Amino acid sequence: MTLKGKTAVITGAARGIGRACAVRFAREGADLVLLDIAADLPGVGYPLGSRDQLDHTAELCEREGAAVLAAPLDVRDPAGVDAAVAAALDRFHGIDVLVNNAGIAAPSGRAVHEIGEPDWALMLDVDLSGAWRMIKAVAPGMVERRSGSVINLSSTAGLVGYRNFSAYVAAKHGLVGLTRAAALDYAPHRVRVNALCPGSVRDDPLVEGRMLVEIARSLDLPAAGHEEIFLRDQPTNALIEPTAVAGAAAWLAGDDAWQMTGAVLTVDGGFTSR
Amino acid sequence: MGMTTETSPDAAGRVAFLTPPTPAQLRRGTSPPAEAAWGWACHSLIVRTRDPAPVEFVRSRTSGWRLWETAVPAPHGSAAARERLGREALRPVRGDGCPVRAVLLRYADGVADLVLVAVRRWVPRAALEQIADLVLLGQDPDVPASPGEPPPARHAWPTVGWGLGDPQRDGIVGTRSLAAHGLPADSREILTGALALTLARYTGEATVEVGRADTDTPRWEPERVRVQIDEDEGPAALLAGFDVLTAAPPQQAVPPVGLLTTSGSPDRTYLPSLRPVFPLTLHAATDPTGTTELTCWFDEGSVCPDVAATFCAAVESAAAHLASAPAVPALSDIPLLAPDETARILRLGGADVRLDVPPERIDRRFEKVARRLPDAVALADENEEVTYRQLDERAERVAAGLRELGAAPDDLVGLCLDRDTALVIAMLGILKAGCAYVPMDATYPPDRLRYIAEDARLRLVIGAPERFPSLDGVEVVEPREVDRRGARAQDAASERPSRRPRPGSPDSAAYVIYTSGSTGRPKGVVVPHRNVAALLDATSGDFALGPEDVWTLFHSSAFDFSVWEIWGCLLTGGRLVVVPYWTARDPDAFHRLLAERKVTVLNQTPSAFSQLVRADQTAHAVRTAGADRTAHAALSVRLLVFGGEPLDVNLLTPWFARYSPSRCRVVNMFGITETTVHVTAQTVTPADVAAGSRSVGRPLPGWSVSVRDTRGRVLPPGAAGEIHVAGAGVASGYLRRPGLTARRFAVEPGTGVRRYRSGDRGRLRPDGRLDHLGRLDDQVKIRGHRVELDEIRSVLAAHPAVRAALVVVGAAEGDAAEQRLDGYVVLDRPDGAPAVLDVTRAVLDEARRILPPYMVPATLTAVPEIPLTPNGKPDTARLPAPTALARPHSAGPVPDAAPPPEDGAEPDGLAAEILDIWRRQLRTEVTASDNFFELGGNSLLVIRVLTAMRERGLPAVTPRDFYTHSTADRFIRFVGEKRDASAGDAPARDGGGDRPPPRNPADESATASHGRNRPGHAR
Repeated sequence: MTLKGKTAVITGAARGIGRACAVRFAREGADLVLLDIAADLPGVGYPLGSRDQLDHTAELCEREGAAVLAAPLDVRDPAGVDAAVAAALDRFHGIDVLVNNAGIAAPSGRAVHEIGEPDWALMLDVDLSGAWRMIKAVAPGMVERRSGSVINLSSTAGLVGYRNFSAYVAAKHGLVGLTRAAALDYAPHRVRVNALCPGSVRDDPLVEGRMLVEIARSLDLPAAGHEEIFLRDQPTNALIEPTAVAGAAAWLAGDDAWQMTGAVLTVDGGFTSR
Repeated sequence: MGMTTETSPDAAGRVAFLTPPTPAQLRRGTSPPAEAAWGWACHSLIVRTRDPAPVEFVRSRTSGWRLWETAVPAPHGSAAARERLGREALRPVRGDGCPVRAVLLRYADGVADLVLVAVRRWVPRAALEQIADLVLLGQDPDVPASPGEPPPARHAWPTVGWGLGDPQRDGIVGTRSLAAHGLPADSREILTGALALTLARYTGEATVEVGRADTDTPRWEPERVRVQIDEDEGPAALLAGFDVLTAAPPQQAVPPVGLLTTSGSPDRTYLPSLRPVFPLTLHAATDPTGTTELTCWFDEGSVCPDVAATFCAAVESAAAHLASAPAVPALSDIPLLAPDETARILRLGGADVRLDVPPERIDRRFEKVARRLPDAVALADENEEVTYRQLDERAERVAAGLRELGAAPDDLVGLCLDRDTALVIAMLGILKAGCAYVPMDATYPPDRLRYIAEDARLRLVIGAPERFPSLDGVEVVEPREVDRRGARAQDAASERPSRRPRPGSPDSAAYVIYTSGSTGRPKGVVVPHRNVAALLDATSGDFALGPEDVWTLFHSSAFDFSVWEIWGCLLTGGRLVVVPYWTARDPDAFHRLLAERKVTVLNQTPSAFSQLVRADQTAHAVRTAGADRTAHAALSVRLLVFGGEPLDVNLLTPWFARYSPSRCRVVNMFGITETTVHVTAQTVTPADVAAGSRSVGRPLPGWSVSVRDTRGRVLPPGAAGEIHVAGAGVASGYLRRPGLTARRFAVEPGTGVRRYRSGDRGRLRPDGRLDHLGRLDDQVKIRGHRVELDEIRSVLAAHPAVRAALVVVGAAEGDAAEQRLDGYVVLDRPDGAPAVLDVTRAVLDEARRILPPYMVPATLTAVPEIPLTPNGKPDTARLPAPTALARPHSAGPVPDAAPPPEDGAEPDGLAAEILDIWRRQLRTEVTASDNFFELGGNSLLVIRVLTAMRERGLPAVTPRDFYTHSTADRFIRFVGEKRDASAGDAPARDGGGDRPPPRNPADESATASHGRNRPGHAR
């Protein structure tokens, strides 16, 4: 129970890594504010998390003994972000952990010069600016209490390039930069900011993940055999499990990592070590 | 109904639903301050309902307020449900949002709890009840937004001395349930009285203040109730004498304990505060049937759970007795501790640990060692080494000589010799003759020697006749003469080979040591043989004392630390190195002796050690710099024992930097002459240094301690009182002072157990270790405030620039009645450090920051060393006149920034330079005709003068040379000759012998107050 007495806010909590983190945090004793767009987004060619999926995450967490506040939130909406954070503070008094997990992988699959203005803007607005908006809303309370941990879900795409994924790669690289800069801003206030860079994460049906398959679709890979193709680049010969990412997040959230800030931590089965 | 109805305490007595802090909060010292403040400002109401169905709205139509609903997938009352309920009930609300949070916890079995948490100042309890009613009716309670101004933070709590709280657990709430048998329906007064009586017993105060808060009043604030306790009166007088102080308590005046009263109903639980209102809060919750439930909440940062448990039991007992008022004639008849609890506390103090060894005489045990290790070296001084066989034989001759001189078994024989091998041989000889030795320091003034000889009715003294006052009926015999007579007697008896039967029993006196009496004349403490043997039985195993050990005899034989040095070594087969008089006064020389003789067991008073540790640093620096290849190596000490005065663990910081505690064990021992040197032992580690520990540890096996109040009642752990010592070390009594013996040595009526009332203040910790808190008579009152001088001293000593500190009560100029605190500090000043006055001012500023105004010293004077008595204890009588810091530009008589004399000075440049050094050290004007000691100089100032001379490149002078040239012009001439001689070839030779110097005025005044002086002792 390393997170006992803490309150964690997780964006993109309806499914995938967000859900894995939520359940793991609940098991560690945290109370949770679960946020997700809970709707589809024009311009993103695949279904995003739904309200049902968000409620299911909430229920899984409650079964672990957590008090949960679940609400829809589009991280592109500044007023919505402020309202969600205000509600979280009303309900839970303080926020100890923020997990910036919300993100989209599509629209992708094009070379740099082929990307349209709206697609580029959408990707950066969600994957990079969304995290900035959340930190902007949550950090003042953390500074006031002189305690807090922010975890930004970047990617191996935040460390290396991928062909035909420039907007995503740029946004995830940007998230690493945001992490390092924010870590310095808040270090004197004992608020920690770290980035997690997962590699190719398996679409675990338990968390209803579908990121990998959507990346595969963007790359025109066959839907049936795409895991095999990603596996070829994995030194461990295994895709990354969402629970492994959640484990790293739980550690960064907890007090064992009390001197970790500005770190960029890979959970990629050795992918970027090649 | 109390908050514990839905919960049961876990094994630790803590209610499970109270959320402990996170490890990080512990690590960082506190929970986030914002949290603690809000927790105090909030209260909560829990309403249980079996029919939560009507709740239909979730958000108010007119304000931003909403009802949070959450499912708990467990039946009510289960552990998981309790955990959730606790999280919600103790979660504060924010002042900037909505002032009330409402959470409906729906359990799996259809029961629900509505949990309301609100800012108490804005939403009083009645409003909270109304909101609950409306919500449960499904109506919008229309809660307004917060007024906006945040409520005040929690009152800063005063330190609760008896609470033994752990500051690392500040903000963590512990709880305990109390029995409320036989309390009347309105038990407010009785509980207030019970708290007051318990607090009075814990603090020893006749007037106590107890906090009180009645939360049924609309906007309650804590009030203070002043209670006078006269234990000779009955309960009625106590309960009639409450003095309610309505004024809002000042920040630091929150009472340590208080009573919180609430009323409630079976389905409504009211928590008046999410944090205890007082450091230890007794919460009496009364339901409509008149049943009262008592719960104690305490902040573990102020009161540790073990102390809280005993305190609660005492309150229970006091309340029950007060409720049965007519049956109790006087408060003093009310026992706060049950008999088995008292027995437990006595066991905690070591009462049931027995030494399972037969009693033995010192000389018998020595003979066993001598038979086992005949050729091992027992004694060594500058001139000779004596093996165990030789020591045994020579002591036998002394014994025979004493018999020739007419000494009979159980006689007292005076011993007044310089510290050398002859002293130890004579001591053992006296014991072998069946007599007891009465040690007298050869440097004592004649009056004192005469007093002791007369008081002890001595007929025989082994000493130098020309240095002992001649007295009728007292024969003073040289050791050589005793030896000669003994040899003659042995020759005459040699035809009879069988040794004569040994006189004396283990119960006979081994020595009589005179200690200073608080009422004037010294008194002789009679200690039997068996006590010393028991001391070795209690320690030799734990300390692994054995033949490989090398000890020093550093202390005067008139100081009982030497009993430990001599017999601790010789009864375990070690080698005892006698430290010459001059070496004991020269830290560098003593350090060299320790290194060269490879001393393994070192006993020191903390004051003396502070100089040794500096010498060690100097030696190390010299060696590291390679300046002097002959400089002595690191020490071989494996056991460092502190005794004689309280240890300020800060002293050990430089020591631990050089000597690992795994290679050299450091033990702080508390003891008294009347208890045979030692009572308790505490191994000190760097962790203790970091924590600023005052622990003197647990009693030695066979010794036991209890802390008692002025009526002799056993006090519980945490409460400070007088330390009483029982067991194997208790002395026989005072020589020919039956009245004083009866007063100081109490005899337990039932068991006949003898206890020595030490006059030392202490407290037992729940783990059985003893904290030493100074002398009982150390406690002083400054303008009505109670002040612990040791506390101020610790604050001064904790400043990084301060090496040592002392605080005394001085009289203000012109008005002896108006007392004032004078602080003295020894500064740690590397070259280029700011001026002394700036540093002392900074130290005082820091003290002002920590201490209440009345505890800040009026003056703070930097001194080169804390002067010591011959026993190595602080000598407050020899402190210089205080320097007033209130006048910023009067830097005292000696301007610190005086320019150093130029090199290549005129012939009288040397004189000017030496006078300048004297002036600085003595802090007064010096002329060529002045005597160093008449101007207040002392042995430590001698060291400082010699150090200062060395630093200025002047010729090296030994302390001995200094003493024989203690007038300024003689000294200047001596140094000049020495310099000229070293410029040529023949080194100057001093004419001084090995003897201590002729007595000088300063030393006489010091030895007159010989005894267990302690720092902070009022002068």
